[in-house]
Amino acid sequence: MRIKSFLTIVLITTFFAGLVACGGKKGKNITISGAFALYPLGVKWTEQYKNKAPDLRFDVSAGGAGKGLTDVLAGTADIAMFSRQLTASEKQKNIWVFAVAKDAVLPTFSLKNPIADLIRKKGLTKDQLKEVYLSGKSDISWGKLLDTTYNQNVVVYTRSDAAGAADTWADYFGGKQENIKGTGIYGDPGLAEAVAKDANAVGFNNVAYAYDITTGKKRPGIDIIPIDQNGNRQIDPGEAFYENADSILQAISDGKYPSPPARDLYFITKGKPTNPDIINFLKWVLTDGQQYVKQAGYVPLTDAKIKEQLDKLN
Amino acid sequence: MAALQRLILPAKLTDRLSTGWLNFAVLFLILLPLVIGAGLVIKSLPLLEQASIGTMLHSAEFSPQQGHFGFYAFIMASVWVTLLSFVLSAPVCLLAAIYLTQYSPAWLTQSMYFVIDVLAGIPSVVYGVWGVFVVVPLLANHVAPALGLTTTGYCLLSGAIVLAIMAVPYMLNMLMEVFKSVPIELKEASLSLGATYWETIKWVVLKKGLTGIIAALSLGISKALGETIAVLMVVGNVAKVPKNIFDAAYPLPALIANNYGDMMSVPLYDSALMFAALLLFAMILVFNSLTNFFLYRIKER
Repeated sequence: MRIKSFLTIVLITTFFAGLVACGGKKGKNITISGAFALYPLGVKWTEQYKNKAPDLRFDVSAGGAGKGLTDVLAGTADIAMFSRQLTASEKQKNIWVFAVAKDAVLPTFSLKNPIADLIRKKGLTKDQLKEVYLSGKSDISWGKLLDTTYNQNVVVYTRSDAAGAADTWADYFGGKQENIKGTGIYGDPGLAEAVAKDANAVGFNNVAYAYDITTGKKRPGIDIIPIDQNGNRQIDPGEAFYENADSILQAISDGKYPSPPARDLYFITKGKPTNPDIINFLKWVLTDGQQYVKQAGYVPLTDAKIKEQLDKLN
Repeated sequence: MAALQRLILPAKLTDRLSTGWLNFAVLFLILLPLVIGAGLVIKSLPLLEQASIGTMLHSAEFSPQQGHFGFYAFIMASVWVTLLSFVLSAPVCLLAAIYLTQYSPAWLTQSMYFVIDVLAGIPSVVYGVWGVFVVVPLLANHVAPALGLTTTGYCLLSGAIVLAIMAVPYMLNMLMEVFKSVPIELKEASLSLGATYWETIKWVVLKKGLTGIIAALSLGISKALGETIAVLMVVGNVAKVPKNIFDAAYPLPALIANNYGDMMSVPLYDSALMFAALLLFAMILVFNSLTNFFLYRIKER
C-alpha cells in the first residue's frame, strides 16, 4: 500500500517534471539571467516586449553577473545581464557583448557631516578620491582634504558583495573592487544606510540608488561628493550637475560625468545570436526599448552607440 | 480502498524492498559528506595547481585578480568570530538550562520552550537586519567610545553577538533535554546522602549529562562556524587579520556568499571560492572528529 502510493507519487512527479522540461525546449522561450543591477530593467523590457510578441515567454532571473555568464556559456540561459568589466579570461570565451544602457556610480557622504557645505562647494579631485578609497590609510582627515580645521578622519565604506558598482568605481582609478579598502557592507541599500549613519563616512552608490528615481531627489541621509575634475579646488558651474536625478542623468549622457565611473551595462549571448526571436528582442531593446531606460533610473545609450550595437546584429 | 488492499505485494518482497530501501538511504547519507568533499576538491584543483597550499594558508593577501590567494585572514576571522560567539553564548545557555530544568516554575519553563521555538524559527537574515539596526550602532556610538576606542560598529564583536543569539535556541533546547533526562532517582540518592541541591546539580546532574553538554555546545559551535548571511551583514568584510574585537573581519562563509554569484565565470576566482568552501568543510570535519573523540573517551571511562 505504502509502496503503491510512493510509486504513484514518483510517477506523477516524473510526469510533471517531463512537462516542464518539454515546455522549456520549445523555442518560444527566452531565458535571461545575471546581474542584480540590470534585473529591474530586464523585467521592464520583457514585460513591455510581451505586448508586441505575445507568444514569447520570458524567464528573467537575477543571480549575479558571473552566474548569468556561466548560464549562457552552459546553454541554460539565452541572454546574460552583465554589469561589470569582463576579465581577461572571460573575454576569451566565444561571447557577443551588446551594450544596452548606461549607469553611473557616484561617491557619497553622510548628511551628518558637519562640513557638508564645504564638501558640496569644493568637491574632491580624482587624486584625492583615489587616496581616500584605495590607499587603505586610516588617517586621512577631512581638514587636510578641504583645507579646514575639522580634523576627523575619513571612514571608507564599500560593497562586501562582488558588485559591478564597486568594480566600476575602482576602475575610475585603474583598480578592481578588491583594491577598495574599507568596511564592506552588503548591497546598495545597506551601503547607503551605513554611510548615512556615520558622520565621517564616504561610500558610493548607483545613480538609481543615490537618487529616488520617482521624485528625482537625493536619498535621505546621504549626499553626493561632487568631483572636482579640473582640480581648481572648487566646483565650477560646469561641474555642478548633482542637483537631482535628471541633471545627473543628463550629465552622464553628455559625457560631462567621467566614464568610468559611468559604465555600460551589457546583454551577452553565446556566439552571434541566430534565433530570430532573440535578435528581434535585442533590436527592440536598442531602439524602442530605450524609452524605458530612464524610468528605471539608468541612462539611455547615445545614438552612435546604439548604431554600433545594431551593426553587430546585422 | 478494498481494491487497493488486494494489490498488496507478497510479504517477502515487501520486506526485501523495504530493507533495500533503508540500506540505500543509510548508504546515501554516509556517502553524502564524501561526495561533497570530493566535489569541492575537484573544483579547487585549478587553484591548487597554481598556488601551494602552504602559502595560501599562511598569506593574508587576497586579491584574486592580481593572483594573490591568501586565506589566512579569512580562516582567523572564522575562528575568532566562532570562538567569541561561543564564549558569549555557552555560559548563558548552560546556566539558563540549569535554572529552567532544576529551579524554575513549570510555567516559566513552558514559556521558555515557546521562546526557543520562536527564536529558532526566525530567518537568519532577520537576525542580520536586527544586528545592523541595533548591535552595530550600539557598539559604534556607546560601547566603543566608553572604552575610548573608535569603530564603525561593523566588527568582529557585532558578528559574534548576533551569532551568539542565533546559537542560543539550539544550545539551550538541547541542554534542557539533557538535564531533564537525568534520572530523578540519582538526584534523590545524592540529596538523601546530605548533599545540598546545588552540590547535587554540580556533582550529579552536570556529571551525568557531560556527554550531552559537550554535544550541545559543539552543535552551537558548528552552527556559528557555518552561519553566513547574518554574519556578513554586520561583520565588516575586510580581508585583514582582525587585531581586536572592534576590527572588521571577513569569515569564510561570507567570502563565498559575497562573491560566488558574480565571479563564478572567472575560472580561478571560482576555484578560490571552492577552496574556501573546502577549508570550511575541513574545519568542520576536524572539529567534529575532535568532539567525537572526546565523547568516546568520556564514555569509555
